[in-house]
Amino acid sequence: MRLIIRRITDKAFTCLTGTSIVLLTLVLVIILGPMVWRGAKAVIFKDTIEFRKMQLDLYNRGSSEDLNTEIAEAKNVRAVVYEIINKFKHGIDTEELIDKSKQIYRQFGKELRYKGITSEEYQKIRSLARDLRDRLQAAFESNDKKIIKENIDYVLQYRRNEYFVDTTAAEFFTLAEDFYKTIENIDLNKRQEYAASLQQIEEVIFQLLGPKPDEPLPALTMERYGATRWDLAVKLLDKLLWSQQWIQKEAGQPLVKIRFSRAEEFAGTKLESLFGYINNNFDKMLKPEFRFYWQYFIDDSTPGHYFGGVGPEILGTLLLTLLAMLFVFPLGVISAAYLVECASDNIAVRIIRMCINTLAGVPSIVFGLFGLAFFILFFIPLFGGPSKPCVLAASLTLAVLTLPVMIRASEEAIRSVPQAYKEASLGLGASRFSTLVKVTLPAALPGILTGLILSLSRVAGETAPILFTGAVALGPLPKSLFDPTRTLSYGSYDIAVGDRLAMLVPHQQYGMVVTLVLLILCLNALAIILRAKVFRKLKGG
Amino acid sequence: MLAKGREKMLMQKGNIKMLISALQTLQDKKETNALSTVEMKDKNNKVAEEENKKCNCAVVEARNFGFYYGSTMGVKNITMEVHPCSVTAIIGPSGCGKSTFLRSINRINDLIPHIRTEGVMMVNGHNVYDKNTNLVNLRQQVGMVFQEPNPFAKSIFDNVAYGPRLQGINIRSKLQQIVEESLKGAALWDEVKDDLKKSALALSGGQQQRLCIARALATKPDILLMDEPCSALDPIATGKIEDLIDKLQRDYTIVIVTHNMQQAARVSERTAFFCLGELIEYDSTAKIFRNPSKKQTEDYVTGRFG
Amino acid sequence: MNNTLESWRLRPAAEKSQSLVLTPLEDLKGFIAHHLGKFLLFLITCSSVIAVFLIFFFVIRQSLPFLTKFSLTEFLATKSWYPEASEPKFGALSLIVGSLYVTMVALVFAVPTGILAAIFLSDIVSFKVRAFVKPVIEILAAIPSVAYGFFAVLVLAPWMQTKWGFTTGTNALNASIVLSIMALPTVISVAEDSISAIGRELREASYALGATRFETLFKVVIPAAHSGIIAAIVLGMMRAIGETMVVWMASGNANQIPSPWWNLSQSVRTMTATIAGDMGETPKDSPHYWSLFAIGVVLLIMTFLLNIISEYFLASSKKKTGRS
Repeated sequence: MRLIIRRITDKAFTCLTGTSIVLLTLVLVIILGPMVWRGAKAVIFKDTIEFRKMQLDLYNRGSSEDLNTEIAEAKNVRAVVYEIINKFKHGIDTEELIDKSKQIYRQFGKELRYKGITSEEYQKIRSLARDLRDRLQAAFESNDKKIIKENIDYVLQYRRNEYFVDTTAAEFFTLAEDFYKTIENIDLNKRQEYAASLQQIEEVIFQLLGPKPDEPLPALTMERYGATRWDLAVKLLDKLLWSQQWIQKEAGQPLVKIRFSRAEEFAGTKLESLFGYINNNFDKMLKPEFRFYWQYFIDDSTPGHYFGGVGPEILGTLLLTLLAMLFVFPLGVISAAYLVECASDNIAVRIIRMCINTLAGVPSIVFGLFGLAFFILFFIPLFGGPSKPCVLAASLTLAVLTLPVMIRASEEAIRSVPQAYKEASLGLGASRFSTLVKVTLPAALPGILTGLILSLSRVAGETAPILFTGAVALGPLPKSLFDPTRTLSYGSYDIAVGDRLAMLVPHQQYGMVVTLVLLILCLNALAIILRAKVFRKLKGG
Repeated sequence: MLAKGREKMLMQKGNIKMLISALQTLQDKKETNALSTVEMKDKNNKVAEEENKKCNCAVVEARNFGFYYGSTMGVKNITMEVHPCSVTAIIGPSGCGKSTFLRSINRINDLIPHIRTEGVMMVNGHNVYDKNTNLVNLRQQVGMVFQEPNPFAKSIFDNVAYGPRLQGINIRSKLQQIVEESLKGAALWDEVKDDLKKSALALSGGQQQRLCIARALATKPDILLMDEPCSALDPIATGKIEDLIDKLQRDYTIVIVTHNMQQAARVSERTAFFCLGELIEYDSTAKIFRNPSKKQTEDYVTGRFG
Repeated sequence: MNNTLESWRLRPAAEKSQSLVLTPLEDLKGFIAHHLGKFLLFLITCSSVIAVFLIFFFVIRQSLPFLTKFSLTEFLATKSWYPEASEPKFGALSLIVGSLYVTMVALVFAVPTGILAAIFLSDIVSFKVRAFVKPVIEILAAIPSVAYGFFAVLVLAPWMQTKWGFTTGTNALNASIVLSIMALPTVISVAEDSISAIGRELREASYALGATRFETLFKVVIPAAHSGIIAAIVLGMMRAIGETMVVWMASGNANQIPSPWWNLSQSVRTMTATIAGDMGETPKDSPHYWSLFAIGVVLLIMTFLLNIISEYFLASSKKKTGRS
């Protein structure tokens, strides 16, 4: 019996350990999977004509001829939308109508002056026109369809009046007619609701299609274009076709969100056809195309990363890491050579080793503090440089951070060179220094390079040390070593929490992080391949 | 079990008898060769005379030499002379200090920490354990070939040219000449002359060992130390290297440590028998194998132990 | 044969017989070169020592103005951290507790998983599976902390809020989970090293007496490797305490000690997040500025002590297994 219990415990334990590994793999997939999937959308996606417009304007990419033809085509399709909305507005936006009628009256008044008529006639016609205007105003403001019909009919009587025909005043009548046609089927009490809804709709259409063709361009770049991505456009379309409201289903219960079809909301009105039209002609209005936006990795971004890519960030990361490697490589290799070749087990060497281990354990933010306190406030000014966050300070800080990693990897590589190599070289009459330089180090070089690449990948991902020593979120490319720079790591942090704008463009957020992760994973893969090659070489090749 | 032992001994004795007869013919050959060599040398001028001078005195001489690392003894009380232009073999069971002694000759043992020596080790008339020994020159004059072939991870050319380059020879044509001569001297030239840029690691085991010999020859040493050079090689490669040793013996003093008694009998003129760090007997090969004076030697060569 | 003899003659025409004796000048040159070279290499190697010294010196130097003006006990023992108030108060207790709290919870997740995984890798699977699993752990170790923070804020936090109904998605639990994932590779690799180093003899002895694998591992191997495993835990703890970006993004940054103490859904604030968050907005050479360096000193001392402890355990484990 006891044996069975022991066997079961054994099996259970084995399963448990296996579970932990499965858990780990799962965690990795959960973390990387969605991120890479969403990040890939920054580079591979369906774009719209708005995107192509933006690319042409900001980055000079694409042929303007083709684009212009496309824009013209889309314009025709979109014009219908604007027309429907305008017409509907005439029935809803009473203020606008009243303004328009006042405007027509004024215009007509001016025209009259140049007509060359007697002042009596002038007064008569003018007062008539005023009357029409007031009647129209009454019609516009009233909620009672009877009154409206009265006033409109009254106005329309004068349509064929000789004074008004072929003048600006004729617009009174078109206005009246349109108005009447529009409000025929509207429930006038709902005008406020319609107005509010219409405003939402217009906003969505602005986000979808950008500014109207005849409007002046907005100041912000992000508002100059409509939806640049198809997935975003589809989401906006949904927002257009369906409205969401909070309804209290039962007293005392929390509010529940319910969707309403806007088409139903505007049923019977002129606007109803809008939704069907947009739905059916959506792709003609936006002209989606599949896009492989590899320039994501070289483009600069507009402020807030709304448009564009991560080019400067990649450059900044590479600049910092390569500089740091430049500082740390000789220090690390020489220290490792000393520790392997010349060091005897005395107290000095033990202190050195302890310090290397201490360095490895210092938290990265403390390195940032050190970089600030030492490099920026003391060291660089000592040589006459400016005392502010810059590329030089950041890369020096990163170099100190990665020194223990470099020393450990180099030491391992140099130690693994077989003793026979050194003996053969010494036996041929080489001094110990020559042996080190001509035989040992070249033989250890692949291992040292692996260590270098691993250090590189670690440094590329570090954010805390560069927070106050050289990284910024916005700014131009550094022109000298004494300027700060943007990096992938700090940019990822900033775009994830700091930037409210960035929430609107999740693909940009994920894109930056995934670029960083992919860069690091590629470097690691390179190191692994190199290590395997070294392994094969040493085993016999 | 005793019967088997006796059988073994008988076989060994039979083998040795064959060996000895072979040896004698070889020895005769060598004498005639040596004679003709001497005649040839007489025909040349200064070179020959200098060589004669050299050939008359001991090249490596150990007097009461002892070697200790840490608290362990490597060898002690070794007194022996190695004659020039000859092959001297050192045999003995594992751990008896043969390699330690060999490696003391060119001070490659210095890599071991905490070493201590006693007595005198003279090479070409100078005590190498003297404080003011020029180690670089010493190791250029005393070449070494190791147990495992250990070519550098460079091309064949760079491997052989490594030593001369250290000496400061940088002219391409001179280096090429030296490399060619060394490879010919190591009987490897014909096999690799087409592609000297090939990596040395791509050669077979036997070729690599001959490359190591060529590399050692390139510094033009007087003495060649060989530490079990064939132990990692197959019989065919071993045979080639033994032929090579035979040829080299005319111009170099060779000291070879070997586990293989038959090999010692084949190639050497004098043999030293070490056991547990001490030199038991040192005499001509024929005597050691045919008629050793010490019982220990006889026990070892007849296979009673080791 | 005569011809071949000639061709074998490699002897030089005695260009210069190189002396085996060093001239005094050569001896002196060699001596100087050897010792000078060794000394130069030693100096360069001392760069690590210099770096450590500089770090301690400069960070402590920048914190001294704070430590001299404000009371140390108040700094370490009170909870009110109001550095920008008109009467600034610098009680860092909740920050210190916050760091330790998040680290401990992370260890609760990471240690069992890590040790089980280490056992799995060292004892239970073949080399082929091992070669497949090792990259998984290496990738987990390679992912930068910003990416983990990203995951914590944009994926884990909303999920916590919607699925589990937390008031806020950025809280101690969120930070602890992600920290444990980050500490796992360290724990696994060090623990696996020390478990593997035990060698086959001990295991074979136990199996030969009829023990199951579970019993062998639990009663023989793990006790034998206990110092290495403790070192692994301490190193994991060091990693978690020193982590900045993840806790800054995911812990909620609320200056409080969770009450009740087991309520993980509350936000906390760690030392590292405080330094990272406040430094950008703090004017230089103000008490607030110096206090941040003081927090840095506390962090330094903590990680230094943990380092020493882990060194001790690693050394003792190496002594037992006899590895160098």
